[in-house]
Amino acid sequence: MKASAFDYVRPPDLAGVLDMLRQFSGAKLIAGGQSLLPLLNLRLARPTLLIDIGRTEALRAIEDRGTHVRIGAAVTHAELEDCLIPDCPMLRTVAGGIAYRAIRNRGTVGGSLAHADPAADWPLAMAALGATVVVEGKAGHRRLPADGFMLGAFQTRLEEDELVVAVDVPKLSPDARYGYYKFCRKTGEFPEASAAAVFDPFSRTARLYLGALSGPPQPLHDLAATIARQGLAAIADVAIADAVDRVAAGDSIERRMRCAAVTRALKEVFAE
Amino acid sequence: MTTVAFTLNGVPISADVQPRTHLGDFLRDGHRLSGTHLGCEHGVCGACTVQINGAQARSCLTLAVACDGAEVMTIEGFDHDPVMADLREAFTTHHGLQCGFCTPGMLIAARDIVLRVPDAAEKTIRRELSGNLCRCTGYVGIVDAIASVIEKRKERTEAALATPARTAAAFATFEPIAPSSTASRSPSSRETLTFAREASLRPGWTRFDESFVIHKPRAVIWELFGDVRRVAACLPGVEVTSCDDTSAKGRMMTKLGPIAASFAGSALITRDPANWSGTIVGAGTDSGSGSRTKGEIVYRLGPIEQDEMTRVDLSVLYNLQGSLAQFSRSGLAQEFARQLVAKFAENCSSQLGGGQPAAPASQSLDVGKMLWLASLAWLKQIFRRSN
Repeated sequence: MKASAFDYVRPPDLAGVLDMLRQFSGAKLIAGGQSLLPLLNLRLARPTLLIDIGRTEALRAIEDRGTHVRIGAAVTHAELEDCLIPDCPMLRTVAGGIAYRAIRNRGTVGGSLAHADPAADWPLAMAALGATVVVEGKAGHRRLPADGFMLGAFQTRLEEDELVVAVDVPKLSPDARYGYYKFCRKTGEFPEASAAAVFDPFSRTARLYLGALSGPPQPLHDLAATIARQGLAAIADVAIADAVDRVAAGDSIERRMRCAAVTRALKEVFAE
Repeated sequence: MTTVAFTLNGVPISADVQPRTHLGDFLRDGHRLSGTHLGCEHGVCGACTVQINGAQARSCLTLAVACDGAEVMTIEGFDHDPVMADLREAFTTHHGLQCGFCTPGMLIAARDIVLRVPDAAEKTIRRELSGNLCRCTGYVGIVDAIASVIEKRKERTEAALATPARTAAAFATFEPIAPSSTASRSPSSRETLTFAREASLRPGWTRFDESFVIHKPRAVIWELFGDVRRVAACLPGVEVTSCDDTSAKGRMMTKLGPIAASFAGSALITRDPANWSGTIVGAGTDSGSGSRTKGEIVYRLGPIEQDEMTRVDLSVLYNLQGSLAQFSRSGLAQEFARQLVAKFAENCSSQLGGGQPAAPASQSLDVGKMLWLASLAWLKQIFRRSN
């Protein structure tokens, strides 16, 4: 239950972090460490060098960029839970439901996206919000859609020398509606099934995603489009089960939990 | 060793630490602050909760070296704190503890709740307390204690936080813009694994079935499967050190994101030519993480399309113990197993010069970044919830 030995550096700025990443190919980035420390303590991960980016100033800002809000990669879940960003209300809802407050105080948005645990909240929520992951590396700056950023369990489109610096979350119009639901065996545990929905008539976006699968979150585009056109009338058990079956295989319990997560996320969308 | 300096319970300290030392060990071993209790050491139990820069945090999930410049408070630092004094008294009055192991963490979490959510009702208190486990009280006394302190403070201040209202607009229908397609998603490719949660299985054992098709006659596949070294060459990360027709010894390297393991083990192989089937029974140990696995793979070859192609059916039964079993996450194993079998099928095909396997055409194989190399049985079990 004790981590194996590693070296530790905390470069003063982002340039220093990128330099270290370039120099040491076996290095592992650590921000809040709330997913990495368990792996280290269990010796399931045995990196030789940790590069701490948890306090890197350039990754700590929340900025209004007009059409979207830029969330720095090292912004913690608790910081998003505690501040209400008027045009991104869903961030607060999602952040407040992640694990426990003690975890949220240290765990970061960028860390969650880069760690790419399929059951994590941000990969699902950011896909549903149509967010863009901003990445920095040797090859320079890249902008990658949150949907598709995770390739599989613990795999992302990040190259070895790259890190997530921010995530751009599009603002929602006042008419937008969203829903987020997850099934946890115990409050704060990783969910067994999760779903996120965002409908914005102003930007004409309809996004519905199923999360906590074996791989990345899966979109239910057709169902979302039908709901956008027809409203509440399009929400039927059969349609939801059909959409879920198309993207995820599983036993009957998993299937029912997934359908229920979608149904309940949609219920929030249509809640008075 | 790295030098770390921070304020501990109001007193500046400085010490040399190994980077791998977590804050909990640093406090207990280095500073004799044994009020911080270590339970699970992977963030689940909450016994080690301390306060870092005014916010509650897990000392087992925080490196001491990362606390440089911070203000750390342990339960010992709250002796003269008025809120903590109220909580201590309330925990006594309401029987909020028995053995006391969870209590330091409980108190620090409770103080955070009282100050951060000053209007918390029972449901909120329970939700906020979900990260701290207690095996004695059933939580009733603890929740009552916290509620009583909140009530007491309300009487004093009557301050309540306004919760921000959600967007109140009613749902308006609209014609959506078609979403830009991202990663290719082939629904059928996800339908390849079936899992059995059979009551007849021994506890801790899991079984799953998988199949794939190779564009070669059955006899060719049969011959390949009879050659341990050739089969091993098709399994990413597998290295055979010694083998004969009925047994093999070797090592399997696995890597998945930050997780890495190297299993050393052996296997016994039996083949049944009359039924075109075989059985591999094996066991292995990863000394790095102290994880052990054992399992059985049964394969059966079936001809399709006048024996132009062969269908390979696999049935895998396995068990895993140690750290990897402890680090459980449902669903992940399914994905790993699917990808590993797909990779195995692809490697078999290319070794036989048969091109790409016909099915399952896994979308993930297109990904140029398969960092992981994995053991089928091992991966299947890693994240499986134990029954």
